[in-house]
Amino acid sequence: MGGRRNSAVPAAIALAGFLAAASVAPPGMAAEPDECATPPELTEASPQLPRLAARLKAHQPAKIVAIGGASTIGQAAGSPDLSYPHQLEQILAQDFPDASITVVNKGVPRQSARQNLERFPTDVFAEDPVMAIWETGINDAVRGTDIDDFAETLQSGVDQLKNRAIDTVLIDMQFSRSATALINFDEYLKALHRVGDVAEVYVLPRFEMMRYWSEQNVFDFDDVAPADRTALAARVYDCLAQKLSQIIRRAVP
Amino acid sequence: MQASTGPSTPAQAPSASRDLRLDFFRGVALICIFVDHIPENYLNSFTLSAVGFFDAAEVFIFISGFTAALVYGRALAQRGALIATVQVLRRAWQLYVAHIFLFVIFIAEVSYTVRAFNNPMYNEEMGVGDFLEHPHIAVVQALILQFQPTFLDILPLYIVLLLIFPLVLIALRHNVWLAFVPSALIYLVVQISGVDMPAYPPGSVWTFNPLAWQFLFVLGAVLGRTDAHRRGPADLLLLAVPPAVVIALAVLVIRLSWTFHGIYEGFPALFLRQLWPINKGNLAPLRLISFFALFVLVARWVPPRAWFLRAAAARPVVLCGSHSLEIFCLSILLSALGHFLMSEVAAGFPMQLAVNVVGIAAMCLTAAVLDWYRAMQREPLTPPMPAGGERGDGEN
Repeated sequence: MGGRRNSAVPAAIALAGFLAAASVAPPGMAAEPDECATPPELTEASPQLPRLAARLKAHQPAKIVAIGGASTIGQAAGSPDLSYPHQLEQILAQDFPDASITVVNKGVPRQSARQNLERFPTDVFAEDPVMAIWETGINDAVRGTDIDDFAETLQSGVDQLKNRAIDTVLIDMQFSRSATALINFDEYLKALHRVGDVAEVYVLPRFEMMRYWSEQNVFDFDDVAPADRTALAARVYDCLAQKLSQIIRRAVP
Repeated sequence: MQASTGPSTPAQAPSASRDLRLDFFRGVALICIFVDHIPENYLNSFTLSAVGFFDAAEVFIFISGFTAALVYGRALAQRGALIATVQVLRRAWQLYVAHIFLFVIFIAEVSYTVRAFNNPMYNEEMGVGDFLEHPHIAVVQALILQFQPTFLDILPLYIVLLLIFPLVLIALRHNVWLAFVPSALIYLVVQISGVDMPAYPPGSVWTFNPLAWQFLFVLGAVLGRTDAHRRGPADLLLLAVPPAVVIALAVLVIRLSWTFHGIYEGFPALFLRQLWPINKGNLAPLRLISFFALFVLVARWVPPRAWFLRAAAARPVVLCGSHSLEIFCLSILLSALGHFLMSEVAAGFPMQLAVNVVGIAAMCLTAAVLDWYRAMQREPLTPPMPAGGERGDGEN
């Protein structure tokens, strides 16, 4: 649904809160392992990541670029160190101790898929990665981007990555009950998943995962005390990183 | 055939020769619009878009053009260009008022749910803004039809189409080609150049590009005009039937394969990679072709007063179609409410079923009440009023 926006003022206050909290937050706000549990059907897929697999097999360094929005840069957790790409890098370092895997964070808040795509030459291709993780769609759903334009943008991005032999994973939107009451994510989710389906690119179903956590009361995304916000965000980002590392482990035998 | 009346046209007495297809299919479109506007609704898979590359919007705009040509064409012939123009503009004004009504619903919804954004995961993404950040601009932009959040998009199109309609009408009276050719040329330019109508906020465009969608409206008007004058190209219709059957069947198979693929991934989605997405904003030719294939089949095999259109079961749908503006506004209100209930109260299947059933029932019931009221107003009063006499339904 187009144009349903927050006032900037609460956002600014919240951001100030995050920053204040981050400065005093204890290090290592990792999620409990079982917190991240989701029904198997949500993450049972084993996508193909052939370039990453080849690179790791040959014991060569591998670079992954994470491009996306606020939840890629890790804004809500208060520090890029708590973002999912950074946490993913740490998990992969444990999982593949003899490989050198770097995860580059190219998240820019408040960008549409189209704006992400415009950054591909400088932020993705210039980094020469073997793999890209593209987290997108929230801004388009919030702004009400034309759904066909959204799908075409995603297709174009996925094709460009494919043509440059970059393994690709897409991440869909974040869930929150109250945001869903206001914004029609449904058709954007369908479009994003269909793009993945057509291009044979794995889509991490973040929306359904977060919905599951919300329904099971693992995490409550809707009534969070201001003091708990950064911690919650960091834990969710950690879960996301864990899910991605599982996907990568399965793709790299 | 005679005009479908209903609120989209000046009042006509119901007539035994009235073309029920217009009301029926417009009613179907309205019910589909209601269902399609509710996110995560299982019924979405069974609306018009499940059988073709088009959806309810095409049906709605085409029938609106068709009936407008019938009704205002008659006004033009009987009372002259000035009166016909004033009638069309008056109708556009009614649509504008309805648009403002829907905008108020939108404001209410946003204002109520704005607490959603005390949400850490979303604050940064939501902080982009126009409506609540710049309400003074957004409201003005909505008044001039430039701000078009979901469900505030089709009425602006319809209003613009009506504003140009007097010209179409006068052209039609001289020669249908005079209306058809310029309209087709503009449509072609849009398809080739991709030119859009800018909207608010900057960078966005009209959801329904009027430069493209005017073509469907004018096509409806052209066919309405030829139909009214019994100059229907009957031979042409018969010629069109075989290709229409092939196209409609092919589209049906392809479209169903996409639906099945969505349910079970192992099922192949035919031509999905080649065909999807089929651009709606600019009314991609595939949508038009798919729509007209079905149109030909209906024109060929469904008589204006087919038995099933007169059946009691079809009556509620026909009534919805004949009070399209009121029922459209109601459907938008109901789908917003339904979405709210499903996301805030319960998301399960029982709630979804209840929302669909209650919503559609409310639409049909309201249409029945409106129809009863219109019929009551039409009845000659005894003793007759000294002046003015019989009233229309207040639209004339």
